[in-house]
Amino acid sequence: MTPTSYPIQGGDYQRAGAASRALKEQLKRIGADPSAIRRAVIAAYEAEMNVVIHASGGCLKATLDERRLEVEVADEGPGIPDIDLAMKPGYSTAPAAARELGFGAGMGLPNIKKNSDFFAIESAVGRGTCVRFTIHLRPQEARAVGRHSLLLAAAACRQCLKCIHGCPTRALRVRPGGPAILEHLCIDCTACLAACPWGAIAVAGAEAAAEAASADVLVLPPAMPAQFGAGIAPGQVLAALAEMGWREVWVMDAWEAALRAAVLDFARTEAAVRPVISPACPAVVNLIEARFPSLIGSVAPFWSALEAVREELAGRRAAFVVSCPSQRTALESAGFETMLPAVVRAAVAPRVVGAGDRRAAGQVEDSPWRETRLAESGAILRVTGIRHVVNVLEAIENGLMNDAAVIELFVCDEGCLGSPLMNEDPFVARHRLGEAPAASSGPAKAIRRRAPFVGRAGLRLDADMARAIEKLGRIEALRRTLPATDCGLCGSPTCAALAEDIVMGRAAGAVCVRQAGGSR
Amino acid sequence: MPSHARVRLEDLARQIGATVTTPGRPGAEVDRVYAGDRISDLLDQSSDRTLLVTNLAGGQLMRVAELMDVPGICVTGGRTPDGEMVALARSHGTVLMVSPVGMFETCARLYPCLAGAKQAAP
Repeated sequence: MTPTSYPIQGGDYQRAGAASRALKEQLKRIGADPSAIRRAVIAAYEAEMNVVIHASGGCLKATLDERRLEVEVADEGPGIPDIDLAMKPGYSTAPAAARELGFGAGMGLPNIKKNSDFFAIESAVGRGTCVRFTIHLRPQEARAVGRHSLLLAAAACRQCLKCIHGCPTRALRVRPGGPAILEHLCIDCTACLAACPWGAIAVAGAEAAAEAASADVLVLPPAMPAQFGAGIAPGQVLAALAEMGWREVWVMDAWEAALRAAVLDFARTEAAVRPVISPACPAVVNLIEARFPSLIGSVAPFWSALEAVREELAGRRAAFVVSCPSQRTALESAGFETMLPAVVRAAVAPRVVGAGDRRAAGQVEDSPWRETRLAESGAILRVTGIRHVVNVLEAIENGLMNDAAVIELFVCDEGCLGSPLMNEDPFVARHRLGEAPAASSGPAKAIRRRAPFVGRAGLRLDADMARAIEKLGRIEALRRTLPATDCGLCGSPTCAALAEDIVMGRAAGAVCVRQAGGSR
Repeated sequence: MPSHARVRLEDLARQIGATVTTPGRPGAEVDRVYAGDRISDLLDQSSDRTLLVTNLAGGQLMRVAELMDVPGICVTGGRTPDGEMVALARSHGTVLMVSPVGMFETCARLYPCLAGAKQAAP
């Protein structure tokens, strides 16, 4: 690929290291193995600091090719009169100011040589010095990609572009043919569902309600009983479902409480890190695996409430009402029927609407949920809404959240009550659930995961590193020709994303309207 | 110093009587310590499991730490890290601690903590 150049300012200790840092990011994107990145960064940093210390300025040029990183650091400095002497460990001509900062140990050039596979230096007194080194790269092992349950209806799309700006992982594109999801980036959350006003993005699921005869248990998200308007108590909804033939209805609120209690207990007795992140929301777990892999060790090793119910019901006939795409994905291969809230709402509404203040008998029982919530709420920081979730994950990653023992994160506003698949506003739903008697729940408990959480190589450009390098070069070159406004009019969320899309062959029909000539 | 079992930096700080200036990433661990005052040496010996012990208390060391994913830095002799160093440590999530005693004494206190952890490990 064509070389990428990073200017280096002589004497600027504040910005020193910036070129090496940029190079490190590039090597990560092509998926080079960590030991090669380490050697490259050490050599690049030493060469960069030599320019900062000795010269008025210079440039670091990095060229990635097949399986090699070639770096050339040239400066307009005083030059080196005796290169053999300069190469001797411990020999230095650095000024006192640099020595005070810990530089000038006379180890810079030997360090570059030691860490590179090829090293050369040329220098002319009064003109400058040029250091070149090469590092052989090996690819790091690739990891799994994600699954999702989002359905796209191209015919409904009006190209409004709200979804591409709403997606927290920049996984959406809008092309002339309609919206598209980049599967390797999608975390199966609800941001695009919430953003799309036209119904072009939906969740996969049955169009018709499951028959009560086809399953023994119906599993409902906590918000479901609150979706029928004012004056309809959750108990009435459960009674209507019983009338329809559902013998057992489990509402998951008690399972959520059981998970909360288990995670708190885990944080108190077992956790090696603080804060512990609750796996309550599967989309948040996906987000951590894709964008915050360093936090994987902070996630408590439990299934989410829905996954725990799934494990408990293994081998039985059950139907689930899912409140988001990630719940549907979690059930995908489990052999259960899944329904969307709207389908259940349509089936139940005629039986409860207009029923007045009739309270269902036999559904009134006290749940441990409310007590758990009251007793433990102080130890848990609950954060909802994707924007806030990303902020808080960044803060945890930077070690700024040590004052919380357990953090519960939900990508939807107000947690699962705020799923865009639900009818009622989450605050209204909370109000109605709070007033109503608790629902039946089945044997609520938290269940430990067997499978570990694993990171995803979402940023990798190609499984083959040589091809990744070649693509990175073309992406960088293209990106420089784009206006960097991130307007999204081309259908890609940012200019950098468009450059990547073009190179990755997924930009058919995308045009930058702001670029000279309007062509791509 | 050879590799030992992993020890949490907050535990190490407590054991050697160091003051934690920036708590950094929660649960950050190291299995080795390197002490030195020359950037080249510190760079060469850095890793994502190394605690750097040094008399340097300036921002440039933090840039090296970020570059090499170093989880923690211990400044010796009770030196006060400058504002830039603290700010960079905070934004990178690096654990920054100040040992009240000199480098020799700091290392002497650190040694049994890591060697002891090795013996205790299964």
